[in-house]
Parts: sequence; structure tokens; C-alpha cells
Amino acid sequence: MAFGLAAMAAALAAGGAARAADPVTLQLKWVADAQFAGYFVAKDKGFYKDAGLDVTIKPGGPDVNPEQVLAGGGADVVVDWMPSALATREKGSPVVNIAQPFKRSGLELTCRADSGVKTPADFPGHTLGVWFAGNEYPFLARMAKLKISTNGPPGVTVLKQGFNVDPLLQKQAACISTMTYNEYWQLIEAGMKPAQLVVFNYTDEGENTLEDGLYALEPKLKDPAFTDRMARFVKASMQGWDYAQAHPDEAVKIVLDNDTSGAQTEEHQKHMMDDVNKLTKGSDGALDPAAYAQTVKVLLSSGSDPVITKEPQGAWTHAVTDKAGIKAP
Amino acid sequence: MSAAGWLGCAAVWLAAWALVELIVWRAPRRGVAGRAAAVAVPLIFGATVLLLWEAIVRGLGVPAVILPPPSAVAARLAASPGMLLADFVQTMKGLAAGYVLGCGGGFLAALAIDRVPFLQRGLLPLGTLVSALPVVGVAPIMVMWFGFDWPSKAAVVAAMTVFPMLVNCNAGLGATSALDRDLMSTYAAPYGVTLRKLRLPAALPFVFNGLKICTTLALIGAIVAEFFGTPIVGMGFRINAEVGRMNIDTVWATIAVAAVSGSLLYGLVAAVERRATFWHPSFRGRRD
Repeated sequence: MAFGLAAMAAALAAGGAARAADPVTLQLKWVADAQFAGYFVAKDKGFYKDAGLDVTIKPGGPDVNPEQVLAGGGADVVVDWMPSALATREKGSPVVNIAQPFKRSGLELTCRADSGVKTPADFPGHTLGVWFAGNEYPFLARMAKLKISTNGPPGVTVLKQGFNVDPLLQKQAACISTMTYNEYWQLIEAGMKPAQLVVFNYTDEGENTLEDGLYALEPKLKDPAFTDRMARFVKASMQGWDYAQAHPDEAVKIVLDNDTSGAQTEEHQKHMMDDVNKLTKGSDGALDPAAYAQTVKVLLSSGSDPVITKEPQGAWTHAVTDKAGIKAP
Repeated sequence: MSAAGWLGCAAVWLAAWALVELIVWRAPRRGVAGRAAAVAVPLIFGATVLLLWEAIVRGLGVPAVILPPPSAVAARLAASPGMLLADFVQTMKGLAAGYVLGCGGGFLAALAIDRVPFLQRGLLPLGTLVSALPVVGVAPIMVMWFGFDWPSKAAVVAAMTVFPMLVNCNAGLGATSALDRDLMSTYAAPYGVTLRKLRLPAALPFVFNGLKICTTLALIGAIVAEFFGTPIVGMGFRINAEVGRMNIDTVWATIAVAAVSGSLLYGLVAAVERRATFWHPSFRGRRD
């Protein structure tokens, strides 16, 4: 009873007024892991509650497409990669970037050194693993830029990669897609030595595209109440990311608590948290228009089979971050 | 859509219903007219469903990423036959090889079990175990064992079809009466002759039953197996990848191809069955 009163008093103090928390459903792009530490921290540490929000976090998976969940009304806001979001927008589903917690890209192609691939020029004739379900766009743009065909020899043979790194371990592919913070460490944890791997980071090649932004549906943003809710959500999420930056070990613990599958290990999540923190470092959540322009440039540069065919219009907004009091870069 | 539009939809539905009722009650049962009537009923029903689907999707303004109208699916079918054909061929490779292996294996295993009672105690429970394995669990393992291409999909199909075939053939081999078997003993027929002249023909309806069940299982297995580590061609890959690209019309076009090819496979087995088991009571009364 006393506890209940105390909780109510706290809620009143935080909310300023006795009103029910606004519900927000967030759809993640992947399974519950440190890639989304900021959101889990914001939830567990009560940052969302303090902002008057009741946030439900839905984990994703290799075949969960966030934009489809968004279009189907299964979430208010989703974590998504920009190439996929822009391609979807061109198909007529009005997704808009409302915030960009990840400053840098973590996507890379990781090859076996013993496969003979030393430079991108060595790709033709080899088999490369790629994630699909909307994650293939950066790869396709890159191959188009290198003028390498993706329909088998003399070009590269593409195979649809699952959610593990077995194709590389079993030499079924010369290279696979990895994230700096996740699959690369899976390879190391599986016994590969860094010297046995050749890594082609998309950023080093000037081929980086924005990852892990927050996206909502454009028509819903016309409602000021929804925009306000999103602003509070983004602000609290960025608090979560800052907290994860400052207390990585505690953030890992929170992530492990939120992993209902029980598949994540502490060792792996620690590696992951450190690398994810590198990508969010210095980010305040507001989208940098220059980074957006870079993403669009990469996608438009893919020759014969373009990911997007024309310059997107209105694909991002600062309305939410402005309302949250975050200075646009 | 206006109220008049919805009323029109309802009117079309009722008219189609009335027409089907008329055909069912009035059309002759035999001869060419009878055949035509038997084909017309499902065709009219299917056409009505498509028409209403189109009207409802357009009328309610359902987003194309949730459910595209049939006209968009038809446009996709017309626009990329080459891609759909390549997908179909790729999936069929795995399906055909797996179907032959699985059904052949099931049939041979049933014969072995029939001959050696020891196997009946040992093999059948193992078969149950194999059949209970979920395809989503088996498929990634098969990719590890047999690589990304169609052989791993064939292995999944074989694993899915072997047990239903085994059970059906097993039941078929036990389908003779004591009277028939006594007659064969009276002739002093050895095991092989009894099998060839009496028990296998008697088992045919069961064998075909197994083959028919396995066509649908094989199609499901071949497509779902392509969700896990595949080359970038095949019906399962296409469904999986195009959902991710929000090309839901392509997904439905692939589903249409899969449905038609599944029905054709089933029909093919059923046609062979009619030829092979013409003596069976279920066909005797139906010859025109």
C-alpha cells in the first residue's frame, strides 16, 4: 500500500499531471541484443516512464521486415536501415525518418583470407553471402558501382545468408555480410583469428549508408499529439543511448534481461555493446542531412538495377527532434 | 466505394450462387455436358472470389503492401514470366529429386518392414521421429550438409515425404483378406509371387494415396526449405526476398504459380491412379 502510494507520487511528480502513459510500440530490426541497448535501457531505467510513455518493444528477426509491420499498423515507430526505408517509400509506403541514433554504419563484407579475396577486384568468381528482406540494398549498390554482375560467373554468385556465420566457417562462401558489432565477433568466437579474415568496411569504401534510424508513417505525423509522443520517445531513447555509452556493463546486463530467447551470451553482448557505442558516439539523435545525402548518392549510383530510381522527397523530418529540443547538426 | 457499389458486389455474389445452384441441379450428370458442368462450378466460384477480392481491396482502399488486388498480381505474372519460370524450375529440381527419393525410399522401406518383422519394431518408431521433425529445424541443417543449392532442398523434401509414404504402403501391404492369401497358399505361391500378383496390386490404392499426400508435402517442403540459405533463385527465395522488398504483388504471383503447379502435380498423380486402379470400386461407377 505504502509502495503503491509512493509509486503514484513518483508518477505524479514525473508526469506533472495525473494522466495515463501514452502507449508506443517499437518494432526492432533484429533480435533483442545490444544493437538496441539504448531502447532497453530507456525502458528498464524508467526514462520512458518519466516521459509519460508506456513503450512496448517488439524484437525482430532475419525475416521480419520493419516497414511492413509499420504499414500494417503493428508498430508506431520502427528501427530500420535507410536504404530499405527509401526503397519502401518509393513503392508508395510513406515511411519517414524521424531520428537517427546511429551516426556511423557497421556493415561490412568479411572474407576468408584463404579464399584469395584481397581486394574488391577479386570478388568475381566467388560466392558472397548477403542478407535479404531489405538488407541487400547496400550490397547491390556497391556491386553496381564496382560494375560486378550478381548473376553468377563471370560475376559473383550471391547466396541468401541466414542469421548465422556458418557459410564462411564451412567455406560455402568466400565472403559474408557481417556487422562490426555482431557477426564479426561471432566469427572470432567460433575460433577464427583476425589474421584469417579480410574485412571490407562499407564506410572505408565511401559506400556507407545510414543504419538503425527511427521511422514512422508520414500521415500519422500530421497529428501534433503523435509528433509530441514521438518527440518524447526519441528524447528518452537518446537518454538510454547516452546511458549505455557511459555504463556499458550495466547496459549489457539490461539487454540480457530483455532477451526472452535466452540465446545471447554475456561475452558476445559485451563485444557488441562496445562496437555499437562506437557507432552511436557523439550522436544526439537528429539526422545529419549530409549523411542522408551520402546515403541517397550511394543508392542512386547503382547502375542497371537501381535501389531507388529518383531522388526521394520528404523522406526525413526534423519536426520530431526539433520538438524534443535536439539541435539539428 | 459507394453503397451502390457494395450492393452490386452482393448482387454479383448472389447471381453466381444462383447460377452454380442451377448447374448443380439441372445439368446432366454424364457425357460431355456433365464434364463441362463439373468444371464450370469451381471456375465460376473462383472467378467470383477474385472479382470480390478486387472490389473489396479497391473499395476499402487496402494498401497494396497488405493485400494487392488480383489485377496487380496478374500484371506481375504477365510482366515477369522469365523470372517466375526460373524460380519454378529451380524449386522443381529440389522437389522432383526429393519426391522420388522420399517416396521411393518409403515404398522400399515398407517392403523391407513387411519382410522382416524385426524392422517393424525398429524402423517404424524412427520413421515417426523423422516425420515429426519440423521443416524449419531440418532445413538449415541440410544446408550445412548438402550446400546451398537444390540438393539440400531435395533432402528436406525426402525427409518430409518418406514417412507418409511408408505408412501408406505399409497399410496397403496389409490390405488383402485371409481368403485371398489362402488361395495363394493353395497354389503354393512363394512370397515373391504372392507379392507381385496379389498384394502389390491390392496395395495400389494406398500407394497412390501416399503419393498424392506427398505431392503437397513436397511442394511445401521445397518452398519452405528455400527460406534458409539459398541461391538467389527459387520460389521460396522469391517469396521471402520480395516480402522484404515490399513487392507483395510478386509474392502473390509466386504463390499463384506454386498453387497451380501443386494442383497439376496432384492431378498428374490422380490421373495415373485412375489408369492403374481402374478396377477399384471408387472408379468403377464413374466411367462414362
